[in-house]
Order: sequence, then C-alpha cells, then structure tokens
Amino acid sequence: MRNSGAVLILSFIAKLISQAAGVSAPGKPRLTSCRSPEKETFTCWWEPGDDGGLPTTYGLYYHLENSETIYECPDYRTAGDNSCFFNKNDTSLWVNYNITVVATNALGRDISDPVEVDVAYIVQPNTPENVTAVVVDEDQGPFVRVSWEKPRTADTRSGWITLQYQLRVKQKKDKEWEEYDAGMQKYYNVFSLHPDKEFMVQVRCKPDHGFWSEWTQTTYVKMPDYIPRERSLWIMITIFSVFIVLILTWTLNVKRNSVKLCLLPPVPGPKIKGFDKQLLKSGKSEEVFNSLVIQGFPPTIDYDDLLVEYLEVYDNEEQELVLDSKDLSEDCMKSKSPSDCDSGRGSCDSRTLLLEKCMVGREGSRSDQHQYSQHGETSWASTESSECQGLEPGSPEFSDGRVKTWPVVFSSPQPHHHYQVEAVKPVYHSVPEILNHSSPHAMPANYQNLQHQDIPQQEGRFGKPACRHSQSYTHGLDTPAPGVSPSRSLEYVEVQRINPENMLLLRPLSDQNREPEGSDYAGEDYSKVKEVTSNNILLLQRDTSYLCADGYSQAGQCTTQQPPHPCKPVIYQSHSGMPQEGMRVMGNGYVDTTVLMPSY
Amino acid sequence: MSRSLKQVAVLLVALLCLDPHSRVSSAPICTHGPSGCHVPSLADLFDRVIQHSARMHSLSNDLHSEFEQYFLPSKNSIGKIYRKCHTSSILTPNGKENAQKLAREELTEVILKLLMAWRDPLFQLHQSMAHQQDFNSFSSNKALEMGDMAHELRKGVEKVAEKMRVLGMLGNSVTGLSAAETMLPISDSGEAMSNYELLYCFRRDSNKVQNYLKILKCRIVPEHDC
Repeated sequence: MRNSGAVLILSFIAKLISQAAGVSAPGKPRLTSCRSPEKETFTCWWEPGDDGGLPTTYGLYYHLENSETIYECPDYRTAGDNSCFFNKNDTSLWVNYNITVVATNALGRDISDPVEVDVAYIVQPNTPENVTAVVVDEDQGPFVRVSWEKPRTADTRSGWITLQYQLRVKQKKDKEWEEYDAGMQKYYNVFSLHPDKEFMVQVRCKPDHGFWSEWTQTTYVKMPDYIPRERSLWIMITIFSVFIVLILTWTLNVKRNSVKLCLLPPVPGPKIKGFDKQLLKSGKSEEVFNSLVIQGFPPTIDYDDLLVEYLEVYDNEEQELVLDSKDLSEDCMKSKSPSDCDSGRGSCDSRTLLLEKCMVGREGSRSDQHQYSQHGETSWASTESSECQGLEPGSPEFSDGRVKTWPVVFSSPQPHHHYQVEAVKPVYHSVPEILNHSSPHAMPANYQNLQHQDIPQQEGRFGKPACRHSQSYTHGLDTPAPGVSPSRSLEYVEVQRINPENMLLLRPLSDQNREPEGSDYAGEDYSKVKEVTSNNILLLQRDTSYLCADGYSQAGQCTTQQPPHPCKPVIYQSHSGMPQEGMRVMGNGYVDTTVLMPSY
Repeated sequence: MSRSLKQVAVLLVALLCLDPHSRVSSAPICTHGPSGCHVPSLADLFDRVIQHSARMHSLSNDLHSEFEQYFLPSKNSIGKIYRKCHTSSILTPNGKENAQKLAREELTEVILKLLMAWRDPLFQLHQSMAHQQDFNSFSSNKALEMGDMAHELRKGVEKVAEKMRVLGMLGNSVTGLSAAETMLPISDSGEAMSNYELLYCFRRDSNKVQNYLKILKCRIVPEHDC
C-alpha cells in the first residue's frame, strides 16, 4: 500500500517535472499511406506525432491476417524517413497486412491506429518513361505523335501488371489540360493542334485496379506553321452561300414591287381638298369642280357697280330702243318682267336694274314718274337722232319732247330721276352715283357719277355742241337734287375740277380738243357711235378691238352678234344708212354701255 | 398477310420433313477446322476470358465497396474478425515469382478450382441478398450476375484448357477437375459466412483469377498486351 502510494506520488511528481521541463511522451504517429509500385514490393509511410521534446524512435509492426505473429518492418531506410519498405520476400499478395507504428521515447510510447493493407489494391506504378513528341507531316496536315515507355519497374511483359496510359496536352498559356486516353498502347497521335504554337505533353499510367501514377515531366513540342487545307469545308461553304444568294435573288425578284416601293417611295401626288378622283373618273366634271368652288371666293365685285351705267337711249313714244339693237330693245322689253332681271345678258342686267331702279324710284318719285309707268320701263333717253335734229350744236334746246338724258340711277334713297324741266317730257334715267358708291375700285371711266342737280344752273357749264345729248350733271356731294339738263346732248363728261362749292365741274369727253380716235377711255365699256340713221337709230361702232378679227374698224364690219360678256353692251350695228345731218356724232362717239349698280 | 406467312412456313416444314436427307442433328460448330468457319484462336479465347474475368472482378469490387459503405460505417478494422475464406485451402501463388514458377497446367487448374469453388457460394450469396430487405434490387442483381459470370468464366477457362490441350500446350497431367471436393463456405466455427465476408473473399479470388489468366496468356500467347 505504501509502495503503490509512493509510486503514484513519484510518477505524479515526474510528470509535473516533465511538464515543467516541456517534455512528454511521444504523440501518436499515423500511417499515411502504403504503396506498391509494381505489385511486388510496397512501402508504407507514417507521420510522426508530437515527439514530446525527446528523441523518439518509431517502429513499424505488422502481422498477417489470421496470424498472430508480429513482424517488424524489415527496411526503414530504403524508402526514406518515416517509411518502411517491404521487399519481394516480405510481400504477399492477396493477404491482409495489419500494420501499426509505435513511437517510443524516454517517457513513453504510443501506438498508431492499425491499418489493413492488401498489396494487390495499393498499386501505384511509377511514371512512364521516355516521353517523346514528334511532329509528323502528312497530307491532311501535320500532327504530333507522342510515344513513351512503360515504367521500368512495372512488369507488364509477363502480364503481372496491366497498365493503361493517359496523356495530356496544353499550350503554355492555356489553363486547362486536354486529356487523352491511350489505353494500353504506348503511343498516341494528337491532331488539331494549332500551327506555329508550342505545346506541353505529359503522360501517366494506371494499373487495372490501382492508383494513377504521377505525371511525367513536361515534354515540349512545337507545331510548324502550316495552312490547313480543308477543302471540303470550303466547298461546302461556297455552295451554301451560293445557294443562299440564289434564294435571296429569287425572293427579291418575286417581291420586286414591294422592294421598289421600299427603296424608292413614290412621290405623293398633290392633294386638293374636296377633290374626288372617283367623280372625275366617272365623268361628272361639274360635280367635281363644284366641290372645289369655295363660296365667297373670289370676292365678287360686281364691276357693274364700278362702272358708270351706260345710258341707253330710248324712244318713249315708240318704246323702242334706238340706241341699241333690236335685241337690246327686246331685252329691255323683256326686262319688263322681273324675271328677266336674272338673265345672263349683261345689257339686260343693267337694264333690268335700271328698270328696277326706275320702278322703285318711280314709286317714290313725283308725278313725273308717270312717264315710266307709261313706258313701263325706264325711260330711255331718246336717241340723239331725234333730239339732235332739233338741236343746234351747243344750244340746249330740246327737240320735240325728246329728252335725251342719260339714265341715272341714284344711290340715294331719294328718287333720282332726271326729269326734264319745261315741257319736255322727262325722260328719266337713273344713273348710279359713282361717288356715292365710294368704291375705291378702279373705275374704268373718269366719268363721275352725276347726280341731278340744278341742271339749269349748270347748263352754262356745259359747253358743247353737238347732238350728243349728254346730261352732265354735276353733283354736289351733299345735295343730290335731281336736275335735268333740258337740252343737252348726252355724252360723257369728266370732271374737270371741283369748285369750291363742292361741285364737280364737268367736261364732256367728246371735246373738240380731244382726239376722237384716240380717246378710247373705257375701251370695252364704251361703244362708239358711228352714225345716226334716219330712223333715229344710233349706229354704234362695234368695239372691234376684241370682237372683230380685223381690229377696230370704222365701217363696222363686224357682224351683228351678241357679245358674250354679260356686262358688255350689246353692240349692234346696222348698216342702215348715213347719219343724219342733224346728228352730230361726237368726236369719240362713245356710248357708255355700262350701268352701275345702285348701292342702296 | 400472316396467313400467307403461316402457309409458307408450313410448306417449308413439310418440305424439310419430306426430304429424307434433311435430318436435323446436333453437330458441333466448326468441327471441320478453319475452312468451315471462323475458329477463334487461342489468343482470342484468352482475350475473351480475360475480359470476362475483369468484368467479374469489377462487379465484385463494386459490391464489396457498396457493402462496406452502407453496412460497415464504422470501418473499425480493429474489431474485425476475419474468418478464413473457404477457398483458402486452395494453394494459390501469392506472388509473381510463385505464379511464374507454376506450370501452365497447375495454373489452369488453380484457376478452375477457384472458379469451381465459388459456384455455389455465389448462388447462396445471391439468394441471401435477394431475401434480405436491406439490399436493393440493383445489388442483388449484381450478385446474380456475378454468379453467372463466374459460371461462364469457368466454362470459358475450360474451353481454353481444352484448346490448349488440343494444341498440345497442356500436358495430360492436368487431371480433371476433382470437382468432387465441393467446398462449402463454412467457417471454422461452423457458421455460414456472412455476405460481407463472402464478398470480401470473392473479390480477392476474382482478382487472383484475373491475374493468373493474364500470366497464363502472356506465357502461352505473348503477341500483344504482354
């Protein structure tokens, strides 16, 4: 009891001392691996544990299966430190070895865990040897033939070991190796290597049941620079591309219209608002054009308003137009009916308007309007013929009751009729007042609209002879008192000047000073009187400037036809004879044929 | 269509039967030598046999690993109690020199013995694996296949031996397989070996067989792979 206690205490103290000194029993070693390179010998390696600060010895002990005999490792040196080499005599295949390692030092010993080893299953051959890589040049292109030899220790010749090989290739810059299995042969052809590049080759081997060997040392091989001739591929590519081109061409051809449309878009045609092509195609042009008509454009300025009305000489008694042709008279006759106001004939329009005005004025006028009712139409100034007969040039004398007045349509609401003074039957005309129109449009005539005034006052101003019965009325702007020039011939006047009393001083156009031929004022609106026939018919010269082909002719070669322009006067000429002697054809011989629209 | 075929077949059979000379009799294939049909050479036979044995060994290896993985997780080698394999009585060379020292006939005989010894145990193995719920069908199928392979291999090796004997390579010292000694895998204690032990033993023996065959081949027909 005492001894055991003393031993215990001593051991405890020894431990403490050893711990204080830093030494201890060795740690447990560990067998790391056992390998056989040729299935004839094998080697085991162990890992020493903590040596405990003291020199430690290791011993490997083994026993075979089903045997209790423990053997120690025969060779600690051949394989290096911490290893045990079993030679051929000590190696038995298909027998389990139970191996342990014992570490021993001054303070103790430790035994590793046992490991069961069957040599037949721990075979790891050595690396193959003599690896050579040769470039072989052939028609298809160069390739690399890698060849090697078996590891020296492995006895494949007797069939004891069967090795299978593996090689791997890569370029220097590549990361991954490309592995090839060579089987049991000792060479391998590597194809599809890039030209003009250097390659690294390695080989290893493995027994049918075992571990892979280590890779051999790197073998370098350089591929030559060559151009891969892959004819078949290029031929295929060419054929394929040709095929595709053909298909594309055919497709384009089929769809050429849409392609054309895409590449060259048609220029859009002009679009007219309201224009319907279908209507045009159907042939109804009126409807098409009607749709294009914009109401209110162009601003219709009835030029009738601008122009001085034309005075038509009309014989009251005979109720026939002497100034104009029969047609005119007919028109005027016709223009009795209000419906004729809408007729397209210009002369008629003016006449109808005149009529209307006269009719209107008639109602509000004085008793002299009676005349109109008798006539039923506007009283036209009688022709010069009748009037002129009794007239002397320059004498304001009336002929027998004929008053030659210009019809004047006054714009003022007052009835504006010329009525004659004295015993002359008043022939009323209404002449639209140009001035009152206040139309800024260019008026073709310099003629001022005349309003009746105290004609007798103005009589003296008129200084003209001639048959021309021109009622020239100066019109004070404020007093549209109608006046009648009893015995004046009608002719156009132009304003000479405006006197301080706001009176227009007129001057007849048919002045001697004037050149009759040259004064072609109104052009189209005026017709020149050629002569006065015996029947009190004014023969007008047709304005041949536009109507006659041969130009303006004195003789009036133009045929009697109605002028197309509605506002144009109907100019008719009758070759009926010489002018009467009494009649004086004014110099210019114009008859104003326009009628101004009344603006009231 | 089928009716016409049937009629044709009946007709053919009738013709054959009627023909007195056409008598079906069993005859070995290619008995008349190489002129008749292709006779596999010894090398080919060896190759076939070796391939067969390799396949067999791989199967046994797989089964053993499976078993070890699933049913012996602890892998405590210390606690293992190894019973002797029932084939341990067969003297087998355990090294290259030993194997090379053996004559061809002995080697062949060893191979045949081994294969013979495993005919029944493999059958039992398959039976026990099939009955046990632990094994999946794949493993039991492997065991069955393994048994068949062993059987085939034995047949093959017998053929090879026959061939060799014919070729005069093998002396007549090879006695017929004393197949009388059927070894039962009974351990010393009398208990049947467990499946794992059987697998373990068979894996080793198949490796032996493969190795011996290779040696034999390279000794007899060293054209290639040797």
